[in-house]
Amino acid sequence: MAIDISTLNYDETGHVKFHSSCSSDLEQPVFDAEWQRRAFGLAVALSEFGHYAWEDFQRELIAAIGSWQSAPDDEKGRWEYYRHWVTALDTVVRRHGLLEEGYVNPEDRD
Amino acid sequence: MSELFAYPDDREEASAAQVKALEALLIEKGVITGSTVDKVLGYFESEMTPLNGKKIVARAWVDPEFARLLATDTPKAIAQLDLPEGMAGAEGEHIAAVVNEPGVHNLVICSLCSCFPWPVLGLPPYWYKDPVFRARAAREPRVVLAELGVELDDDTEVRVWDSSGHSRWFVVPARPSGTEGWSEEQLAELVTTESMIGVALPGPAA
Repeated sequence: MAIDISTLNYDETGHVKFHSSCSSDLEQPVFDAEWQRRAFGLAVALSEFGHYAWEDFQRELIAAIGSWQSAPDDEKGRWEYYRHWVTALDTVVRRHGLLEEGYVNPEDRD
Repeated sequence: MSELFAYPDDREEASAAQVKALEALLIEKGVITGSTVDKVLGYFESEMTPLNGKKIVARAWVDPEFARLLATDTPKAIAQLDLPEGMAGAEGEHIAAVVNEPGVHNLVICSLCSCFPWPVLGLPPYWYKDPVFRARAAREPRVVLAELGVELDDDTEVRVWDSSGHSRWFVVPARPSGTEGWSEEQLAELVTTESMIGVALPGPAA
């Protein structure tokens, strides 16, 4: 689905809808589903406990979103932010070898 | 079933399964414990909320000295307030305030992904992460602001701040007129998350 970035849409209450899945209503839940909430928590937790720098996660998130944006319109699929989040999480976990044999937690390192 | 209808549900289930498996593997391998993610989420949901930003802005409105420090060394200013522990973590070390003043309106976006000052504003609203908002706010901020109801004079400069891993911006809006003598608590009530992103102005004093 191509994204029309020329106009803003409004819902029936007059709130702006930048996209069919979002509006300016701050009362809306931050997460659509529990898996999105856990993916958020997992990415932050791994960074907070020193398994990777947050910048490393951000770099992968930017890359995941970038490849979605540059994909042909007919291959894009709809915008799903947390799909990209999960792609980034998966990549950063793999790149830092967190699931490999012999991985040592930061607190157990010399 | 046609691919059109199968696709969103399948993707949703696949994502949920992928996240669940990843967490389980990381627990099994001893990288995290079974309660690690819940602890982090609980902290974000109870402590890292826009309430912190509201208190910071209200203090800046009543204390010019604090306002000056906030603009020049945001983390140092925030550390002076009685806010939850950990304000300097979770990217709090990169927080930077920009101040609205006569003739200058600030707008915060993240054109690459979704950088946001979590410790002071909580998690970003949906539209902040949306490609349409990100693209249009960068290209034609004045038009987007007008569509959102923020009408600016032609001679008011719009400054767009692109958050990144190095700086996570938030806006200190101008204090509404008619609030002379208000307490910090009363003033904080006027501050909204949207006004601290720059897509709205704080409500007029009743």
